[in-house]
Amino acid sequence: MKKSLLLISMMFFLAITLIGCATSGDLEKMQAQQNLIDAKADQALQDAQAAKAAADAAKLQADDATARAEEAEKAALERERIADEKAQRADSAFQRSMMK
Amino acid sequence: MKSVQEKSRLFPGHLEKDIERNDFPVAKGEDVIGRLAVTRLQKGDTLPDIARHFSLGTTAISAANPEVDVWVPEAGERIMLPLSFILPDTPRKGIVVNLATMRLFQYKGDGKSLAVSTYPVGVGTAERPTPIGQTRVARKATRPTWYVPASIAADHRKKGDILPAKVPPGPENPLGEYALYLSKSGYLIHGTNKPASVGLKATNGCMRLYPESVKLLYKDTPVNTPVAIVNQPYLIGQRDGVLYMEAHTPLEDSGAVELEKIYAKLRDIEKKSTQTLDWKKVKKVQTEARGIPVPIFEMRQGSEKEAAKPIKVAHPGTLYGRPEIPDLKLDAWYVLAADVRDEIDALRIAAIINHQGPQIPARVLSKSHSYRVIAGPFNDINEAKDAAKRLKIDLDIDGILIEPVKKG
Repeated sequence: MKKSLLLISMMFFLAITLIGCATSGDLEKMQAQQNLIDAKADQALQDAQAAKAAADAAKLQADDATARAEEAEKAALERERIADEKAQRADSAFQRSMMK
Repeated sequence: MKSVQEKSRLFPGHLEKDIERNDFPVAKGEDVIGRLAVTRLQKGDTLPDIARHFSLGTTAISAANPEVDVWVPEAGERIMLPLSFILPDTPRKGIVVNLATMRLFQYKGDGKSLAVSTYPVGVGTAERPTPIGQTRVARKATRPTWYVPASIAADHRKKGDILPAKVPPGPENPLGEYALYLSKSGYLIHGTNKPASVGLKATNGCMRLYPESVKLLYKDTPVNTPVAIVNQPYLIGQRDGVLYMEAHTPLEDSGAVELEKIYAKLRDIEKKSTQTLDWKKVKKVQTEARGIPVPIFEMRQGSEKEAAKPIKVAHPGTLYGRPEIPDLKLDAWYVLAADVRDEIDALRIAAIINHQGPQIPARVLSKSHSYRVIAGPFNDINEAKDAAKRLKIDLDIDGILIEPVKKG
């Protein structure tokens, strides 16, 4: 009886010891993984921020280009209007000059 | 004419050397004469030059080509020549003038075979309109003297231009070489010393033709020929089983009444037919007012296919009546008419000066940062001063006299 109690106790201790060793390794591994993931996250965040900054810059450029295109279009329309007005004024003057 | 049409139907890409402009047979029961045509512009062409060559008016050619600059069109541009016309809704005899289309029709022949000669005309302004109604040719004259009416003398006086009581035949005479005096006193059909005014509303009520047109009309028109003056901006007529509509910008205040008349006719045609009319198309033709007969209704099954495509006409090279500009001479006088930064502006001013009547020759000389419009050459200071005076009175241009480089 004593022998069997001793055997059970030893087995229990061994089991506990073994369990204890596996838990600390896993933690380390997990820690390392977390560190890697954190680094990845940092990288991703940086990439995202960079992408956003690039997107913002591109949008700014696009907005600027759009604004400049609109300005150019307005200027072209204005030139066209002035040219039309000039042509109309010239035509009116011509028509008047054709009277007897 | 017939052979030209037939050839063009057989070979749609075929380029014709010429096209009939004035004389057309009128088939019984048909209302549409002539053919539309297209040509390509060459460098230096203006629409009034093209118009005169093809016996069209300035308004007609610009209405048919609304996107084209009248005075400085681009070389190579494709131009529609509106040489197809719907005959006005009048009895087909004598002379008929449609004020809205600015076109005169002279009917010839009897009941068996009818022909028509047609010419563009310049008509009265809104202030001094050509009177509508029935009249006749009371007398005819070659090389007429122009007795200046008091109203015209007063208009000129206001601009600082004192006209003589009468102007003898010659380049200064606005009646040109031939005149048909109408029984309605004070109104004439005559030639002009301002050919570019044909097809414009620019007269004091008379009707002006190109010099070459009035010569033909004069020869073919006996005294007492009836003359009907009508105002029909909207015309409908049929040819080869197709109903066409032609719309022009109406004269002041006449649009709504005339439009209602034509809509009533169209409703009547639709009622008698088994088909419905494309009213959207009618509206489009009316609002665009391009002065071109457009097929709007098939009166006979399958006949719309027969609606003719425009004939392609080769550029004639030399345009009849186009103002010529003499070479520069160092011993001549000139007038600096404008100094502008835009080349198109300069070319337009030069073209307008060139198309004055009598002509004032003008050209564009380019400088490093500007373009100068120079009128001349003039033989002496008096000619140059006269030109400068005309530029001021007629075009409100303050010209500067330029002395000869070397005395002749």
